[in-house]
Amino acid sequence: MNFLARTAAIACIAVAAVPLACSGASAPQIIVREDRIRVSGAVDGTLTVTVAGSDVPLFGEATADGSGLVFVPRFPLKPGVAYRVSFQAPGAGRVEKSFTLPLPPPSPPTTILGVFPSRDTLPENLLKFYLHFSAPMSRREAYQRVRLLDGAGKPVELPFLEIGEELWNREATRLTLLFDPGRIKRGLKPREDSGPALEEGKSYTLVVDAGWPDAEGRPLKQGHRKSFKVVAPDEKQPDPKAWTVTAPNAGSKDPLTVDFNEPLDEAMLHRSLTVTDAAGTVVSGRIEIDRQETRWRFHPAVAWGAGSYALAVDVVLEDLAGNSVERPFEVDVVRPVERAATSRIVRVPFTVR
Amino acid sequence: MRLKLGILSAAFAVLAAPAFAQELTKDLKKGAPDLKSAGPLAFGPEGILFVGDPIGGAVFALSTEDTKGNPEDVKLNVPALDEKIASALGIAPNDLLINDLSVNPATGKAYLSVSRGRGPAAVPVIVVVDGAGKISELSLKEIAFGKAVLPNPTGEGKSRAEAITDLAYADGRVIVAGLSNEEFASNLRSIPFPFKAADPGTGVEIFHGAHGRFETKSPVRTFALYTVAKQQNVLAAYTCTPLVRFPLDELKPGAKVRGTTVAELGNRNRPLDIIVYQSGGKDYALMANSSRGVMKIALENIEAQKGITEKINDKAGQTYETIGSLKGVLELDRLNKGNAVILVKDGGGPTNLQTIPLP
Repeated sequence: MNFLARTAAIACIAVAAVPLACSGASAPQIIVREDRIRVSGAVDGTLTVTVAGSDVPLFGEATADGSGLVFVPRFPLKPGVAYRVSFQAPGAGRVEKSFTLPLPPPSPPTTILGVFPSRDTLPENLLKFYLHFSAPMSRREAYQRVRLLDGAGKPVELPFLEIGEELWNREATRLTLLFDPGRIKRGLKPREDSGPALEEGKSYTLVVDAGWPDAEGRPLKQGHRKSFKVVAPDEKQPDPKAWTVTAPNAGSKDPLTVDFNEPLDEAMLHRSLTVTDAAGTVVSGRIEIDRQETRWRFHPAVAWGAGSYALAVDVVLEDLAGNSVERPFEVDVVRPVERAATSRIVRVPFTVR
Repeated sequence: MRLKLGILSAAFAVLAAPAFAQELTKDLKKGAPDLKSAGPLAFGPEGILFVGDPIGGAVFALSTEDTKGNPEDVKLNVPALDEKIASALGIAPNDLLINDLSVNPATGKAYLSVSRGRGPAAVPVIVVVDGAGKISELSLKEIAFGKAVLPNPTGEGKSRAEAITDLAYADGRVIVAGLSNEEFASNLRSIPFPFKAADPGTGVEIFHGAHGRFETKSPVRTFALYTVAKQQNVLAAYTCTPLVRFPLDELKPGAKVRGTTVAELGNRNRPLDIIVYQSGGKDYALMANSSRGVMKIALENIEAQKGITEKINDKAGQTYETIGSLKGVLELDRLNKGNAVILVKDGGGPTNLQTIPLP
């Protein structure tokens, strides 16, 4: 590639047709900084920067200033990677330098903060696990790092839906591990051939490998095991009318308490329930989820005033088997749904006295 | 005297040609698109590259200005492409993720969306590979582009995100398949192109009926567009493995779309990528899979297929054969009339870019 037209600095060199004319005749020297590599005392020649062991040059831009050539890599040089710089001036010997930028001091190792659902009895048609990590994780590792073992310690074959990019939150601190819907949905080949991934009455262990690299490439502090027993499939939709809503007293900052009659999806409980006042305005406050995702509490930012309120339920809210307030995971079209939500929000009224 | 700088060989190879004032590119504005990630890719006409950005929750249209060439003259073969790209980006190969591959049908150059790094701070890069095997970067510093923000019901700051599993362009719209990391929902979005800020397109839920009895929401994992009897169809592999089709026209606001199952691709299988092509006057789909290699599926009479509604054996629906010689295919795209380009991983070794004749 012809580099001549790129910068004004080059023009100086192009005019200075005599080798090393701009900067005297001292031997070129390679100087490495974090964001650039300089060949001092050089004005003409071939400068190549590669990862050590590779002959593919780094993307970047080279310019010349009054005292030498400067290469600015397109992407910052990465600590821990070995690089090699080679400079060959016409008619002169090659000058080379290998270097590795030092790694920053290690931060505490990443740990698994928790796995949801948190209980140890789970329905046969369980749809997902959420794995929470203390720091961002590496992508494209999950399905090699997580195994489901049966009661005899034998791995269950392909229990999870393997999506190339994996299902992370933006910070890469929470992974959603979906069971293969083909193993849950009735009548599909994967289930016909291999049966469901989980079977009622049996015990399983979800095993997370300690070697799973975090975003910095370091293994986890330790692996994780979650053992659980499988109970009958859950084919019923969550029904807000069946929940127990305990209203707080007016003038207090006591929480509003909602007891579900089953565990619900931990992630969605953080966003699909809100509290509105008589005017329909959302009340601000803090959410607390406990008792193995069967209880939701709302602590208001300011003391409750007396009056009418409502718990507003987004119908996307799911139970552990993917049955939502809106619709069961599987609709048996021969036995039509008895209760289908007609709006996006279901309101459960309550009064603060 | 001429200054030779080897380091530049890869960096500036791309696309210095002036833009043509054409129909679709004229609405794109010059600037630096703020890609947070680069996932699925698809080419439209006029060298427009569509890039799915799952972390940013958007789809970008980039004017590559790569419009001159003849794909029939191109053969793309680059051994250890992953190692070469990693080196050009200044990282070790295990720090590189190749997310998708798309061939520009106008020129036969291969475009790859990659991540420099594996964590959330990974830098998205679009890499271009030409017929000579030269690797360059599609510079996003000053490029004509458009952006469509995908609606997220939870807004910023929440943990809900949507993976983009595939995308394609057809007749003035971009079709985007997604899968949420929270609720189990299918989301197939049709966004008019050129993008308009006020129109995030139409989201349609896709359902699947098994044996005519149990109906579920069915996210789409990979799809191709296919014209049959003058009607544009989506030929899609669901996450739960059946291959289905549905007319593109059904993607209308409020519609409930049910795919017609045209093949059951069986168990222990994960569809990765699908293309449609012609051979010997007949239409076929070629699908890369995790465990079943590459399948060639006959599309003949697909429009007459009423759908598989009974319990079936392994070969029900459209007939297919497995191309035994193709193993470890990760990505697949059509190169020209007679050839496809594959990204193939040979066991634990490097990932190669290879041109293969369409079977």
